[in-house]
Amino acid sequence: MELRKYIGRRLVQVVIIFFVILTVLFLLFRLAPGDPVSRMVDPDMTPEDAHRLKVELGLDKPLGIQYLVYLKNFFTGHFGYSFHYGEPVVNIIWSRLPNTVLLFTTSIILSALVGVFLGKIASWHKGKKTDSILTIGALVTHTLFLPWLALIMIWLFSYKFGWFPITGMISEDVWLDPDSGFIAKSLDVMYHMVLPLSTLFLIHFGAYLLIMRSSMLETLKEDYILTARAKGLEEKVIRDHHAAPNAALPVVTSVGLSLAFSINGGALTETVFTWPGIGRELVFSVSQNDYPLAQASFLLIAAVVLVSNVVVDVLYAYLDPRIRY
Amino acid sequence: MPLLEVDNISIGYHTRNGYLKAVEGVSFVLEEGQSLGLVGESGCGKTTIGMALMGLLPPNGSVSTGRILLEGKNILVMSDEEKRRIRWRKMAMIFQAAMNALNPVQRVGNQIAEAILVHNPSLEKEAALSQVEGLFDLVGIPRERLTDYPHQYSGGMKQRAVIAMALACHPKVIIADEPTTALDVIVQDQILEEVRALQREFNIGIIFISHDISIVADMCHEIGVMYAGQLVEFGPWRTVFESPAHPYTKALLSSFPTLTGKKSDLVPIPGETPNLINPPAGCRFCDRCPEAQAFCKTTPSQWVDIGSGHKALCCRS
Repeated sequence: MELRKYIGRRLVQVVIIFFVILTVLFLLFRLAPGDPVSRMVDPDMTPEDAHRLKVELGLDKPLGIQYLVYLKNFFTGHFGYSFHYGEPVVNIIWSRLPNTVLLFTTSIILSALVGVFLGKIASWHKGKKTDSILTIGALVTHTLFLPWLALIMIWLFSYKFGWFPITGMISEDVWLDPDSGFIAKSLDVMYHMVLPLSTLFLIHFGAYLLIMRSSMLETLKEDYILTARAKGLEEKVIRDHHAAPNAALPVVTSVGLSLAFSINGGALTETVFTWPGIGRELVFSVSQNDYPLAQASFLLIAAVVLVSNVVVDVLYAYLDPRIRY
Repeated sequence: MPLLEVDNISIGYHTRNGYLKAVEGVSFVLEEGQSLGLVGESGCGKTTIGMALMGLLPPNGSVSTGRILLEGKNILVMSDEEKRRIRWRKMAMIFQAAMNALNPVQRVGNQIAEAILVHNPSLEKEAALSQVEGLFDLVGIPRERLTDYPHQYSGGMKQRAVIAMALACHPKVIIADEPTTALDVIVQDQILEEVRALQREFNIGIIFISHDISIVADMCHEIGVMYAGQLVEFGPWRTVFESPAHPYTKALLSSFPTLTGKKSDLVPIPGETPNLINPPAGCRFCDRCPEAQAFCKTTPSQWVDIGSGHKALCCRS
């Protein structure tokens, strides 16, 4: 009951914050320099034509009216048409979102699992060789510059060795072939995913490793670990059943927030690997002054971040019995 | 054969500043059903002795000399696995800061059942939990609190749960390290009363570690007073309490208020404890001792037998 009340209260907050974001986004895009019409049209176009286009897009109306239209569209689920593609924004987003979610959710879950596992090992061998290798390795990979690593990966594994495709998410010959079934198509996507996934994994697992390691070291100093040892439990049981569940709590927050922000898809990764996701679309739409598309993408990110914050808080209550709302 | 015999043990820690001799040449004997109190100020080595008995010294600490005989077997030469097996089954511990001795994310009942299960692997979990119910009855926690988490307990209940946990495998020896320090005096008194009753019922030998000499005197048959890593006085509680022989014990007693005795000013002990990385050659208390003589500083102090089990480590008595 308490929990339901808490979730209700949090959702009200989410709605209010979302409304603020909605407004700020609207203003930001109108204040930004540049004019979408000038991007869309031929420089030779007559001023009359340009004006007609402006009227068509609703950009001639006063700001207040534009805002009201914007709100109305939002609440009726119409995010408008992309200036650039001329397609409904919703369609564009729905076609890109699964690609982003597939790549980034997989990479975060994978790096969190591996990071937590290795962090646990490192803390257990604190000060020994295993610990040094893991910690230094994590620090090095985590501090690499992502676009650089991505390019190196492409250069080495795609260009030099030719093991993996250089760009994209699918091979046309597989997807256009009417004979290829679901498995063949999935395998094709996985094959394209190897490089971007490994790049993201290499960059991110170190963070989880370091968080888990230091959290474990703190936890191992707790009195209840001494109790567990005094009880005659085996070291493995102490590590996995008494220390790790407590130590993993900070990692949960971190994973939750990363999952939320992964929706924006690391514009850099998607751009370098030409992965057809939201992040790449976002960069593109901003640079093209494609207001409807950019706004919708930003709103999607905001909504996901807000909701995942609530989800992480609620999840915490399940993992840590001390937290009750 | 005594239940537990500590024979001339010295314990040290490797620290950044050098080798710290935390405990030196301590010996005592604990018989079945008896209780022995170790009293002294912070850093005197009493907790270190408790940890060494449990085999739980931190990685930088080790027993350098001496023997710890539990039912005649030297536990210091046992393998880690052998030590793990006798822990809690033969010798359990009631921890200092019991508030944090329970894992916050596990149910209290399960934590106690875990101790039973690890030493009786053939037992079903349900059977272990029903044993825990019995333990809760013993220490006076309602059975329905079995499935609660530690933070749902009051301070006194946590302490009771920790005591129930110590009793879980029917140990012969319990080491109680400041078991009631965090509690208010009323709860403290109730808990000590329960511990005494349980000790009689199960004939357990208890080593009671505390800085509070009045609690130790109240609980124990024999008292060992520790100062700067050494045992400085040992004897039956009444003799030590009523006619202390070592100047440190005298000073310790006059630095505590009494409720029933005549009103007197509390006398703090001036000075501080010596550095245990380079302990002084002579008596370790001589710098703070009101009765010190010139030779105290240079001559190592000797045990002086006062009679009927009462002895003191002092060059002058």
